[in-house]
Amino acid sequence: MINSILRFSLIFVLLILLQVLLFNNIEFSGYINPYVYIMFILLLPFEIPAWLLLVISFFTGLIIDFFCGSPGMHTSASVLAGFVRPYILRLISPRDGYEPGSDPSMLIYGFSWFLIYTVLIVVIHHFVLFYLEVFRFADFFRTLLRVLLSSFFSVSFILLLEYARRGK
Amino acid sequence: MRNLLNFLAKYNNLIIFLILEGIAFYLLASANEYHNTAMVKGVKGISNKMEEKITNTRSYFRLSEINQALTSENTRLKNAVELLTPKENQVFFSISDSVYRQQFIYTSAKIIDNSVNRQKNFFTLNKGTNQGVSVNMAVTSGEGVAGVIVGCSDNFSIAMSLLNIDFRLSSRIRSNGYYGSLSWDGRSNTHAILSEIPQHVPVSTGDTIETTGFSSVFPEGIMVGTVSGVEKPGGDFYIIEVALKTDFRKLYYVEVIGDLMKSEQSQLENSFQ
Repeated sequence: MINSILRFSLIFVLLILLQVLLFNNIEFSGYINPYVYIMFILLLPFEIPAWLLLVISFFTGLIIDFFCGSPGMHTSASVLAGFVRPYILRLISPRDGYEPGSDPSMLIYGFSWFLIYTVLIVVIHHFVLFYLEVFRFADFFRTLLRVLLSSFFSVSFILLLEYARRGK
Repeated sequence: MRNLLNFLAKYNNLIIFLILEGIAFYLLASANEYHNTAMVKGVKGISNKMEEKITNTRSYFRLSEINQALTSENTRLKNAVELLTPKENQVFFSISDSVYRQQFIYTSAKIIDNSVNRQKNFFTLNKGTNQGVSVNMAVTSGEGVAGVIVGCSDNFSIAMSLLNIDFRLSSRIRSNGYYGSLSWDGRSNTHAILSEIPQHVPVSTGDTIETTGFSSVFPEGIMVGTVSGVEKPGGDFYIIEVALKTDFRKLYYVEVIGDLMKSEQSQLENSFQ
């Protein structure tokens, strides 16, 4: 228990630092803004109570908001991601269910399962985030393009990080 | 009562979700104004310290570019001083002339946090109310328009970048004086759109776009950029694409311009409205 709290705290700090110091500074074009911190919400264990997941998502978003100077934006997107996570896990659960005591990881449930899981949550999160950012429906399809391109890069980076985690 | 408890037990996660989402939207809505100095003071105070360190490191790698920009700025200023210095044969020149109206004051500031890749970009300056910066002052790079101060704390201030879809600037074509409204369309961080120029006006690529001074935020005649493309859609007005003079991706030192007569001007204007 203590061990896993320590482990997730470490992952949390690493992801926040990675987001704030590296990914927030990618100035590739206005269309590509990867947000990989959402990976933390993906990695939390299956058995985590839904209320705790929501609270953790809330504070994750809030901390990112502090650093981006955008109060509320990341918070609301993250809380939504935390809210839909249990439903998505149920939707894509393998035939014989999840092994008790395991974490959602590529190592246990395979690449395609992890890919679907990541894509669904990242797209929902990015969709809310980018539309809250512009806060208007003018240029609807341009914002949609930003959502899809950024999601593509976020998912790629999350998969890379997951591979790196697996290598340890 | 039992029904209520059952209801709460059944939907407790939904309720927590709605409460947290409500807090998030409250934050979002209250920050829309961005004059929210509580946020500037409290929240930005924590991350400013860190961002200042990051920027210090990053600006070290661009010292030669910054030097070059400062040198050219110096040359320009020296020329300006030369023009203003009284020549020996001019007898009647008094420096304590009370009729000489200084309208604008300039101060320099360093950018400690900047973004160019969002739809609503802001940057943070290392000067605040203690250094005489206040809300609605203009921010320019050495070359052209950069933004407007929207929030100040004691030692920091936040400016809305020109690269913000809410930014509007009254600007004109230098060669013929026709003016329109300049805004950013959220696409490229090197271009903005000038609209409301009627289609009978001759516009060609390479024309200089400058500020009009109507808004009493920016002084007149500060360069914005040059025309890089002209489009004639249906309707009466052009859509003019402007290549911005300021390169926002390497913005490190800026000038903050305050209008000493703004309150007088707005007071006069308000009394007639």
